[in-house]
Amino acid sequence: MTEKPFPFKPFIICIGEMMSEIFTYIIGGKAGEGVKKAGAAAANLFSKMGRKTFKMDDYQSLIRGGHNFSAVSTSIDDIYSHYMEADLIVNLDDRSYDLHKDHLKKDGLMIYNSGDTENGEGIGLPIDDLSEEYSKSDLIKGVTGIAVLSAVIGLEKDELENLIEKEYSRGVDENLSFAEEIYDLAEEKIDNRFTLEEGDDDSPIFSGNEALSLGAASAGLDMYIGYPMTPASSILHFFAAHKKDLQIMPIHPENEISVANIAVGATMPGARVMVGSSGGGLALMEETISLAGMTESPVLFVLASRPGPSTGVPTYTEQGDLNFALNQGHGEFPLVVASPGSMEEAFYLAGEMLDLLWEYQTPGIFLTEKHLSESSMNIDVDPSSVAWAEPKKFEDDSDEYKRYEMTDDGVSPLKFPPSEDVIKWNSYENDEKGITTEDPVKITKMHDKRRTKNEKLIVDMKEKETVNHFGNSGPVIFTYGSTTMSVREALRAGKIEAKIVQPKYLKPFPFWELEEYMDQDVIVVEQSSTGQFASLLREKCNIIPKTVIRKYDGRPFEPIELAEKLKEAI
Amino acid sequence: MAEKLGTGAENTWCPGCGNFGILNTMKNVVEKLEEDDIGREKLLISAGIGCHAKIFDYLNLSGLYSIHGREIATIQGMKFANPDLKVIGFGGDGDAYGEGLSHLIFAAKRNADITMIVHNNSSYSLTTGQMSPTSEKGYKGPSTPEGSIEEPLNPLMVMLSAGASFVSRGYAGKIEHLTDLIVEAVEHEGFSLVDVLQPCVVFHDDQYQKYNQAVEILKEPAETKYEAMELTEKTEKLPIGVFYKEDKPVYHEEIYPDLNVVEDKINKDERREQIEEILKEKA
Repeated sequence: MTEKPFPFKPFIICIGEMMSEIFTYIIGGKAGEGVKKAGAAAANLFSKMGRKTFKMDDYQSLIRGGHNFSAVSTSIDDIYSHYMEADLIVNLDDRSYDLHKDHLKKDGLMIYNSGDTENGEGIGLPIDDLSEEYSKSDLIKGVTGIAVLSAVIGLEKDELENLIEKEYSRGVDENLSFAEEIYDLAEEKIDNRFTLEEGDDDSPIFSGNEALSLGAASAGLDMYIGYPMTPASSILHFFAAHKKDLQIMPIHPENEISVANIAVGATMPGARVMVGSSGGGLALMEETISLAGMTESPVLFVLASRPGPSTGVPTYTEQGDLNFALNQGHGEFPLVVASPGSMEEAFYLAGEMLDLLWEYQTPGIFLTEKHLSESSMNIDVDPSSVAWAEPKKFEDDSDEYKRYEMTDDGVSPLKFPPSEDVIKWNSYENDEKGITTEDPVKITKMHDKRRTKNEKLIVDMKEKETVNHFGNSGPVIFTYGSTTMSVREALRAGKIEAKIVQPKYLKPFPFWELEEYMDQDVIVVEQSSTGQFASLLREKCNIIPKTVIRKYDGRPFEPIELAEKLKEAI
Repeated sequence: MAEKLGTGAENTWCPGCGNFGILNTMKNVVEKLEEDDIGREKLLISAGIGCHAKIFDYLNLSGLYSIHGREIATIQGMKFANPDLKVIGFGGDGDAYGEGLSHLIFAAKRNADITMIVHNNSSYSLTTGQMSPTSEKGYKGPSTPEGSIEEPLNPLMVMLSAGASFVSRGYAGKIEHLTDLIVEAVEHEGFSLVDVLQPCVVFHDDQYQKYNQAVEILKEPAETKYEAMELTEKTEKLPIGVFYKEDKPVYHEEIYPDLNVVEDKINKDERREQIEEILKEKA
């Protein structure tokens, strides 16, 4: 399968009116029926065909039952979102059929489980009856997806076998047998055929969490510490799985407070450290973010947001934590907050931030959302173009070492133990050597030092790409984070000519890049109920949006729906 | 050598405070460790917040002055990052047995190779003498003017239950004994706890007198954990010394038997090759 080219003839049949080049596949069923895996297998298949692919998993906070689905959209060109209008929908149970029956495109193909759905429209397959014969009768149902997909896009049976061996290697014999049964039935019962053109893209598919992990690894990460919390947990799983090859120490301690303090402790002997959680976990870490500000410890905190407040809606998406991220930590200290607008940017931004934090010896927050953390898309990245995070080091051995030595830029050279010199990091206000002080002159000087770092940081950031612009003309749309992807895809879906402005850095806020928009009618798109991002634009740049398109139902924007909203706003 | 272990910072403990005994002990400890080839350049210290923690400013050793109860996590971070270092955390009873108790229990559970020295004076002294986790029932402080209604915690019992591989108690009034105890704790491979009876001369009456009469030196550790637990329940006489000690696998070595992620850091090219591999696998 991986070696052979696909036997397709490169012609496109019309599978929808508006966007013939995009093919969308949805598979839905109960948790425990292998739905997520089925989505991933399809995404990998499309990717192997050289096509660009975006996969979004929608799942509930439960282990068995409920309703999960995976929406996978693929195109020859870049694609930044899944669509909810599907060409092929495979429903493993009746609940899924009910929920998705309105998502089918005209000329689309609906597959339902005839053992669970009576009088369905589309093609019924006896999924229940067939799966009963197998030892994992629930889990195996998910294999239906790839078997049907293979049949309707014209894969030969041996190609399906190769796919199963690669994607479903655990219990492969049963999986093969079940897949073949489904494939044969599909061949027999289904007339519809979709022909997917092969592309020439060879970039791999990664989730945002995987991409940011790889980016931080490229910048020289030494340790990752995490306590499980959706949607950040898969970062911990990634580093645990790659413990041997990447040589990045994965640690799962007793709680988030421990996570953050192990991290600060580890920076003192020089380890490059990242931690991650969602809002509730970061709230527990906040005491330590302030500690990192005072001790000048460069810990990178990943905040993968989900709808709040409190436990909120654990497995869904929202941008309600923007203000929370921007205002982390009691007291005044330099804090960097940045948020990526794609999986690829997650890779580069995580690396860039780790480097920046070590340069300025201060904590930073990598803000993202479930939609970016856990959705997957192609990334084309070059690890060697990421800076290897190195701090300013103490070189002059003739001088006495002072941890908090006053310098022009406020950044004191670092020295790591073991060392003959005494190196003292301190949570109390301190003198240059790190000894606690209550002296008013020293207190003032140390505040000035930390503020100077922030000022120098801003000077440096002015040389960096802190804001992305997509499109050259038309109305201006401000957005950030994962919503950037939704807006980019919505412009394509709606054939809208507009200019997207996406600040990557949110603190310090790159106002210098945005002055030109001050008197313009701009549209803001964000996933928060109160419009936190719009408020930030107003506060930092006096940009007053004429329309704020908000969504706060836990689901990412759907491109066609968002396109409609944008058209209304324009 | 001993003079150099001071920093010149003004000492602000109350006259007669038990913390002086611990500070003097630590100066002896550093010298003894150096005799055993553990140089002070390899020692890292941390402290929580409270009277005990001022020792951070008074000892001229490298480290990180942490926050209340979190020094237990801080020193684990130091150790995991660079296992060649020896790490010592100073905590108070409010600090290690209250705010940071979960960290202490889990550090013991995972057998992190750290040493925690707890300055146990049974009160929150720096914040004006409120009751602490180890204050006796009936203790009167500004938050319990009618006397504490809670039974005190038995921290050594907690540590034994958590699987601590080295559990001990010392007394700030017996510096020689405490010196040997802390040296043994630091040299122990794995988690070690030294609970130090630390008289507070302001918020308790006659703690020196009480401890001088009550402490009795244990000749050797208990043979079993259960015998050690019984020892921790003694209140008339207060045993000091090693209650329990065992050899167990050490946390960081279970993760990476031979890798020190800071000292043997993977080089840039090798790391990037590994990442290219991961990218290729999925392409």
